[in-house]
Amino acid sequence: MDGPGDASRSNDAPAAELLGVSKAFFGVLANDRIDLDLRHGEVHALLGENGAGKSTLCSILAGLYKPDAGEILIDGIPQTFHSPRNALAAGVGMVYQHFRLVDTFTVAESLALGHPDASFRLSPRRLELEAASLCDRFGIQLDPQARIWELSVGEQQRVEILKLLHRDVRILILDEPTAVLTTQEAEALFRAVRAIRLEGKSVVFVSHKLREILAVADRVTVLRAGKRVGQTSTANADPAHLARLMVAREFAMPELQEHSTSGEVALVADGLVVAGERGNRAVRDFSLQVRSGEIVGIAGIAGNGQRELSEALAGLRRVESGRIVLNGRDVTLANPMERIRHGLGYVPEDRLEMGVAAGLPLEDNLVLKSYRTRRFSRGPILSSKAVRAWSTDLSERFDIRGVRDGMPVSLLSGGNLQRTILARELSQRPQVLIAASPTRGLDLAAVEGVRRHLLEQRAQGTAILLISEDLEELQALSDRILVLYEGSIVGEVSPGGLDDEQVGLMMAGHLRQTPD
Amino acid sequence: MVGRRLVVERRGTPSLRARILFPLGSVLGAGIIGGLFLLAAGHDPLEAYRIVLQSGFGSDLTWVRTLISATPLILTGIAVAVAFRMKIWNIGGEGQLLVGAIAASGMAIALGDSVPSFLVITASLAAGCIAGAFWASLAAFPRAYLHTDEVISTLMLNFVGLYLMNYLIFGSISPWRDREALSFPRGRLIPVGAELPQIWMRLSLGLPIAIAVALLLWWILRSSRWGFEIRVIGDSPLTGRYAGMSVPRTIISVLLVSGGIAGLAGAILVTGSTHSLAPGSLAVGLGYTGIVVAAVSRFNPVAVIPVAVLVAGLSNAGSSLQVLGVPSEIVVLLQGLILLLVAAAEFLRDNRVRLVSREDELETQAP
Amino acid sequence: MNDNIIVVTIAGAVVAGTPLVLAALGEILTERSGVMNLGIEGMMLLGAVFGIAATLATGDPYIGVVSGAIAGAALAFIHAALVISLRVSQIVSGLGLVIVGTGLSSYIGKLPASPLTDRASVEGFHRLLPKSVADLPGIGPIVLGHDPIVYASWLLVAACSFYLFRTRTGLAVRAVGEDPATADAAGVRVGLVRYVHTVLGGALAGLGGAYLTIALTGIWQEGITAGYGWIAFAMVSFSAWRPWRALIAGYVFGALTNLSFTLQLAGVAVPSDLLAALPFLLTIVTLIAISARPASARGRAAPAALAVPYDRESRML
Repeated sequence: MDGPGDASRSNDAPAAELLGVSKAFFGVLANDRIDLDLRHGEVHALLGENGAGKSTLCSILAGLYKPDAGEILIDGIPQTFHSPRNALAAGVGMVYQHFRLVDTFTVAESLALGHPDASFRLSPRRLELEAASLCDRFGIQLDPQARIWELSVGEQQRVEILKLLHRDVRILILDEPTAVLTTQEAEALFRAVRAIRLEGKSVVFVSHKLREILAVADRVTVLRAGKRVGQTSTANADPAHLARLMVAREFAMPELQEHSTSGEVALVADGLVVAGERGNRAVRDFSLQVRSGEIVGIAGIAGNGQRELSEALAGLRRVESGRIVLNGRDVTLANPMERIRHGLGYVPEDRLEMGVAAGLPLEDNLVLKSYRTRRFSRGPILSSKAVRAWSTDLSERFDIRGVRDGMPVSLLSGGNLQRTILARELSQRPQVLIAASPTRGLDLAAVEGVRRHLLEQRAQGTAILLISEDLEELQALSDRILVLYEGSIVGEVSPGGLDDEQVGLMMAGHLRQTPD
Repeated sequence: MVGRRLVVERRGTPSLRARILFPLGSVLGAGIIGGLFLLAAGHDPLEAYRIVLQSGFGSDLTWVRTLISATPLILTGIAVAVAFRMKIWNIGGEGQLLVGAIAASGMAIALGDSVPSFLVITASLAAGCIAGAFWASLAAFPRAYLHTDEVISTLMLNFVGLYLMNYLIFGSISPWRDREALSFPRGRLIPVGAELPQIWMRLSLGLPIAIAVALLLWWILRSSRWGFEIRVIGDSPLTGRYAGMSVPRTIISVLLVSGGIAGLAGAILVTGSTHSLAPGSLAVGLGYTGIVVAAVSRFNPVAVIPVAVLVAGLSNAGSSLQVLGVPSEIVVLLQGLILLLVAAAEFLRDNRVRLVSREDELETQAP
Repeated sequence: MNDNIIVVTIAGAVVAGTPLVLAALGEILTERSGVMNLGIEGMMLLGAVFGIAATLATGDPYIGVVSGAIAGAALAFIHAALVISLRVSQIVSGLGLVIVGTGLSSYIGKLPASPLTDRASVEGFHRLLPKSVADLPGIGPIVLGHDPIVYASWLLVAACSFYLFRTRTGLAVRAVGEDPATADAAGVRVGLVRYVHTVLGGALAGLGGAYLTIALTGIWQEGITAGYGWIAFAMVSFSAWRPWRALIAGYVFGALTNLSFTLQLAGVAVPSDLLAALPFLLTIVTLIAISARPASARGRAAPAALAVPYDRESRML
């Protein structure tokens, strides 16, 4: 078992070193020659936006991926990890965002699963004692007999940490650990992290939240677009500088559109509270208004309540409290069908699972919401001729390519899939459109096309709520931008005078605008 | 630590040729395995299969027999196929058929001779449908609103239906019973006016009706709004909700239709063949065979028709095989083998299996 | 006292329920590893026919039950290969195996060369403990007067319970059934675990079927299980996948099976068809009642990954 300052290890070599590590996926460079060193007894934070490469880097260190180039050294010894189990044997373990826990097991049982030392006969008492002693050692408060499903998210996360400690990891990687935690749970986590550090172990802490990084980490490395752009100790760090590093980019001057935003208010959200998957409040006291002919952008790093918000607005998720008003009609309790009838369009984040019926052909997907209308249905009969004609028409108008007769849309490229969804939603002439991450993962031409369509819709008077992680896009399209952090709006900025430092700070939770 | 492992990869959409060849190959495979069983028992497989073909399709008389047997199979096959379009398993065809038979014979007996033949027949068939739909609804509502698994519930109802029928004929003196033969329990004959007219020797109007239902359902599934909703929800209930569809209501409607069709099968059996509530001729596993028919025809309503005929021919061969000393149950065994092999072949048709080294494996994961 | 209706009923329930207990126990093992085997009815039938045939051929009922177990295991192996390695739908495979089991068992029963054609009967098992013990009032017939297979079933229930909840292997098995990805990450060989437990389940079902024909009916008849394999399947759900509860459930259904006889004893006349339908009705009602319990009360006790094929399955073979 590890003890603090174990002299058998060389204290000269860092606990871990990544040298010139690069990794590409499908031609996109996720990590570009990154160097990182990790000292013993240190908490080292990785700061960056989505897509900056933090998770990839951690996955490499944890043995999930093999780097295309570069080296990994643990305690000065070069390592090649063929699997996470290799990494674990070398003392490196990661707590993933999706926990690997069995809901019905107790905490003690979770620790015992797959542990090499567990005896054949498991006495519950012994398991509990083992669990309890680990908890004491690291100041983690958990009931060994509690079942995983009974635990809060924060507690489950601590079980994951405990599992790794039980296997004697010396390097612990936490990937966005506070994404689903309340403030108190985050505090408990930090206490545990500090106790772990005291034992001489190292912790890699991935986050986009400045406040936490400054609170718990010793050093922070900033990643942006796959490259390392800075590293500093947190003791004297300037949050503004860090935020700048995280987000900095060249902002092109927005094309000034000639249009008036003085349309009627089409969409109102008033004090919305929506629960997330794990019972936490994903959306808290959320309020906004969108007018006809206006694009309101919602900026924020993924995991701050965007999904729950859009699903609640579309009628696919229950609202705990608050109101949703569509064109003057209160639709808080209305089902999706009614909202569609009242002019709501929704381009969801989840294209394949929700936006289309993946196994069905293009024409079916293009009439998914409109098949009941007189154009396509004569009574109970669906006119396949009308549907096909519509499909041909829309394919041309929206440039949907790569379609063969009867082919399921799951085989379409990302761009064509999104054009399919857009074609369907936009051709219904929605009065309010919710677009969630509409250009994620698309190539440049496709992105261009989507943006063009959105602007056209705005010109036609649609009220658009654009939820995106891409600041550049929000700046190019929105009339105003609201920043979402932990389920509520923390500030509003205008795309004209976009100050990346300010936005970065808001997205990182470090700055909150006082309401007028 | 380089090892090898098997990796399964999807092929593209299978061609029409593949979609026919693979099931045919499975039937062949089943025949070979069945042949092995025959050999092991000391019989000549080729002789046995010759008899099968002959007794199924050898002469006019055997064709009639086969077509008569195919009629209920078409319907029970469709019943399973329709439900499966929504990924719902209606295993309760057997019970729904029996309940349909009970209702149809009851209606025919109740209406008696005084009502015009056309009306009696229509009423009896309708009664059969409604009864079958009702029987299915007992499983449909729990499934739609409580997510109770429909496999067990529909299955259990089969036995309840069976015992209900047995009660009516063997366990009591009910109106369904033949009053003139009380010491010898059997079903009362329906009035002559309630019998389905015959179109070719003993073959009744039931066959055209069954074929018409099959074609009608095929058309409905592909051309109606309801069929569209079934397609969408069967593919992805979440997308269905997103599109504003009501998933519970569609589940119930599908199961009601499915049960109604199976109930119709029972009604046609009574009005067309047995002319009474005859447990011995009705409770012969037609519902289960319907599952085999549906699965082999890959749940396509049109394909159900020829497959039902083939399976019917096979089933009838059972009694002829006894001449050779082969127990008739070999055909049941063959049906099961066909089902398993078709399912296995479908996997092979859709996927390719290769050996790869473990190093390559890590790279297939995207972030 | 031992002629008392209650004593007779309970003692009878134990014997009649034993095939159900065995089959349900086997399916519990299978489902705990995440595989659903609808083919139990077929495996019981096959075990029944092989069991009695072997007994008639060798004169030894113990060889009979072992043969039955082997037959059930063989059929279950086919299921495992189809659903684990070939990713065939577990429902299709299970149903197909019921049909195969039904057809094959009837076929074997009618073969001219088989010892079954004479409809000969077997004696069954002798009770384990001496008559004087078995005649003790009350607990004699109920607990002490049974044959060794009944006692074996109790031991098996206890062993399975211990195995699943008190051993490291059992923990791994449960992990495979709840969350195969987690189990895989923890180093458990998911495919192997599922294969082994599916085959074990089939063996127990075959054993139950053999006991049915050897000890309960004494003769073979086509379709002798009369749907009881399905009840055993359903029993797994309402025993919440726990062996001891399956024991109780089995005996309750065993009592129901004997109900007509019991009622006769009590002088009550109820139509036999109604009684025959009771177990099935009870199953449906219980199933619906269980689904109606709110999910938040964690009434759902099914292994979370039941009947869901695991994608890294190919790792096994």
